[in-house]
Amino acid sequence: MSLSKTFLIVGIFLAILSVLISNLPGLIGQIPTTGIPANATVKGGLDLSKALPFTSVALQAFAAIIFATPVLLLYVYDKNNGVLEYFLSLGMSQGDIYRQYLKAALILSSGVVGLEIAINVVAGLAEGTNGLFLLELSGLVVVLAIPVVSLGTLTMMSFSSLQKQRVGANQPLGMALGIFMVMPAYIFPLVFPSLAIAIDLALAVVIGTLSLLMYLSSSRLISREKLLP
Amino acid sequence: MHTLELAGVSSGYKRKPVLHDISFEAQESTIYVVLGPNGAGKTTLFRTIAGILEPYSGEVRFDGEDLARSKEARKRINYLSHYNALPEEMTVRGALDFYAKIEGGDEDKVLSLLSLEALKDKKVSDLSQGQKKRVSIAKVFLRERDLYLLDEPTSNLDPEVSKEVRDILLRLSKDRIIFYSSHNLYEARDVGTNLILVRDGAIGYFGKIAEIKSKEYRVGIRTTTDISRMIDAKLGDSGYYVLTVNTPEEAGLALRRLVENGVLVTEMRQLDNPLQDLFDENHNQSLARREQGGEKQD
Repeated sequence: MSLSKTFLIVGIFLAILSVLISNLPGLIGQIPTTGIPANATVKGGLDLSKALPFTSVALQAFAAIIFATPVLLLYVYDKNNGVLEYFLSLGMSQGDIYRQYLKAALILSSGVVGLEIAINVVAGLAEGTNGLFLLELSGLVVVLAIPVVSLGTLTMMSFSSLQKQRVGANQPLGMALGIFMVMPAYIFPLVFPSLAIAIDLALAVVIGTLSLLMYLSSSRLISREKLLP
Repeated sequence: MHTLELAGVSSGYKRKPVLHDISFEAQESTIYVVLGPNGAGKTTLFRTIAGILEPYSGEVRFDGEDLARSKEARKRINYLSHYNALPEEMTVRGALDFYAKIEGGDEDKVLSLLSLEALKDKKVSDLSQGQKKRVSIAKVFLRERDLYLLDEPTSNLDPEVSKEVRDILLRLSKDRIIFYSSHNLYEARDVGTNLILVRDGAIGYFGKIAEIKSKEYRVGIRTTTDISRMIDAKLGDSGYYVLTVNTPEEAGLALRRLVENGVLVTEMRQLDNPLQDLFDENHNQSLARREQGGEKQD
């Protein structure tokens, strides 16, 4: 349980960090390391005031999956304790079981996503950021976070049999997955800020499709004996 | 009346069979005691019947429905495993309520049935092993089912609670099929009318317990005085007086006679394991049949 609290704290920390990054241009007015005004357009089209918020969208999605990690800890614990075996005996399928834990992960991560959006909107409005832009960012966070949390959760549950100890939930796997999934969303807004929304949406569709396929094929891919203690 | 039928079932883990070509039909509403040494395949048998493991071959049918394919059929079964399967951070009442929401049933009824009222607000993680076992059994009784698969239900339980559980099962067995696994032949005789013997993944015996003839019991008694004139026991090389009886009850009577005569009994132990004898005899018979060529393992 102390491990669960650790992940919750890390998730909140990442959420706050991502909100800070998103509001950095407005907060400081100028990026000190470059001497460039935060709303400047660099040769080649890089507008930091636009790029940074989109980069923070990816970080906010990553914070969501970290915040949902306690559900994975519970999954591993329940597996080792015979709870999943009992669920199977009650007539549930692998897909049914996965759906319940996935639901829990999405509900838990929605807490931090809601917090991120609320702080972002308040801070953004206080800085005079355009309301439509804030709405776009908020929508992107939701659209990206849901599939990232879904695919991350499903993958970590599927590979939980690799976890030898009772505590933990393949956290290096989870972190690696989270970073890998949202990597394009970190990089592309810096290179193609005008395409940032399209890139994030495309990434959300790809990840969402993969998670849906994984969920639908869970009964075939994952044998029931993988759910036994 | 219900029927559980296994036809040519092989099952196991990681594609390695633990159960080999098992076939039997249980039609009588009673308690079937499933006996076998560790590693025989009892748990695998229960998991296969419960639909937790899909058989590599063969079929498991309950009242004609294939249990591996029918969720509805699996909902008519209840399975108690070795593991307590309890959410440890919940209270006893919370855990039973959790399962009642999933499968239906009344947690107050089972709290009373298994004398758990005093523990209902305690966290599961704070309970002793025996108490957790009682809660685990309680969840199995939340809703009445047609088939119960109970894997060592009285392990970790004190004798009084064990008796209560057995009484509940005896009551249920009037119109239900109950499979009850045990290591203990004495307990088998107290609880069940039918016996299924499992060894090396095969069924060694399927029939009435009363038809089994186990050998005589040899009991060793260590005392401070010569007891050879009080009971029919001879002093052996190991320092024990060896008493040969037909049932454990006769050994108890002999002990009472010694105590009534003021004998200080410092130790009393069983020298042979009739269960092992039963398995050995059965195993030898199976080997002999196989050598003669081709009797079905039933």
